[in-house]
Amino acid sequence: MKIVKEALAGTLESSDLLVKVAPVTEERLEIVIESEVMRQFGAQIRKVVEETLAKLGVSAGQIVVEDKGALDCAIRARIQAAVLRGADQQQIEWSKLS
Amino acid sequence: MVAAAQPWGVPVSDELEFYTIDPRESPAEAAEVRLLLSQCDLDMEAGIEIFVLGRVGRALVACAGLEHNIVKCVATAPEYRGESLSLKLMSEIIHLAQERGHHHLFLYTHPKNVSFFEGCGFYELAEVPGYVSLMENTPVGIKGYCRRLGAQRQLGLKIGCIVMNANPFTLGHQYLVRLAASQCDWLHLFVVREDVSLFSYRDRFALVQRGVADIPRLTLHHGSEYMVSRATFPDYFFKEKGMVGECCTAIDLQLFRNYIAPALGVTHRFVGTEPFCATTRKYNDDMKYWLQNAPSDAAPIAVVEVPRTQCAGVPISASEVRRLMRSGNVGHIAELVPRDTLELLNGKYTFAQPAEAGGVGA
Repeated sequence: MKIVKEALAGTLESSDLLVKVAPVTEERLEIVIESEVMRQFGAQIRKVVEETLAKLGVSAGQIVVEDKGALDCAIRARIQAAVLRGADQQQIEWSKLS
Repeated sequence: MVAAAQPWGVPVSDELEFYTIDPRESPAEAAEVRLLLSQCDLDMEAGIEIFVLGRVGRALVACAGLEHNIVKCVATAPEYRGESLSLKLMSEIIHLAQERGHHHLFLYTHPKNVSFFEGCGFYELAEVPGYVSLMENTPVGIKGYCRRLGAQRQLGLKIGCIVMNANPFTLGHQYLVRLAASQCDWLHLFVVREDVSLFSYRDRFALVQRGVADIPRLTLHHGSEYMVSRATFPDYFFKEKGMVGECCTAIDLQLFRNYIAPALGVTHRFVGTEPFCATTRKYNDDMKYWLQNAPSDAAPIAVVEVPRTQCAGVPISASEVRRLMRSGNVGHIAELVPRDTLELLNGKYTFAQPAEAGGVGA
């Protein structure tokens, strides 16, 4: 899936996260993660973000995550929503998202 | 029981509700916003296109405004303060900006509030201690910009830079560029990108491009939001408080010294003396302080003020060309501008005479 425009998903509220995606000129993935629980869960958050992007087939784009202590399932859902919006995807293959 | 109609068209409940207004079309609510802002030592700023308002029942408890991609007038009622309301408010304004096509946001705030906005995904770009900080909503904004600029770095001991609006490009601009290029190992030339001038950015850039084509050791760059833009040059921010002189150029010049100049290795900034435009003259004076003398971790940059070239004893300036256009005195313009500019004036702008668009006239 290709990110073709800037998009947002989520909020800055506690236990949620705000995900911003944007297209990039170079064909590479740039992931920036900020989290209130970076020290404890930073590695796990990055793992969830990377896995979710891989499942969606996203190999290029800028992904910025402002995490407020969200659970893994919330992180997955927000990443999916932001990418689908940014990819301007109308046809969603739900089975790939699980 | 049927509830009475509410004055603001929103249902009364104890739940926090957010909605948007155009302050120019809702004077009654704008007055309430003004009251809330005054409780927070803020003024209502002109130019805000849309506000997000938060109400609990009838009480207005939070507001945040947007002018293009600049977040302004963010306030929460003292009795409702707490991370939760403010973070909801900021989420609302960020989504609203996105819907309106603004992904990259800027925000001005007092330095004491920087840590709060850092919690909302904003990052500090520059600070005038005790007065104001400029923040942007991405951790990779100016860093990414400087990385891309750095790819255009050139070797040399004396690396010059000029930032010009070229509204429109005159023989004076050409003289300044030629002179600066002849004194440097390399010259980086930027054209102000903000499209608020009489001449469109596209036209201004094209004229500069043609006008400097034969000058060696020069790179022509597109301007960016990080130099002389609506975001970096917030004169509106201080106008009412009489602080125009103190801060409005400081943010822009700090960004240049701390980020842009180091990325390109710039050692000298060239600028023409300004006989007419007070804003530009002030900018030139402030440049000497903020680029050369102000305490900073970044190396000082020498400011070289070049006396303007003259035509029949009068300094050539773009503002003079615009004045001649307005007065219909087109014949005289031929002596002040290169042929390409003249052709554009005759072809496209002669009969278009909108109100003077100000801005930096250099």
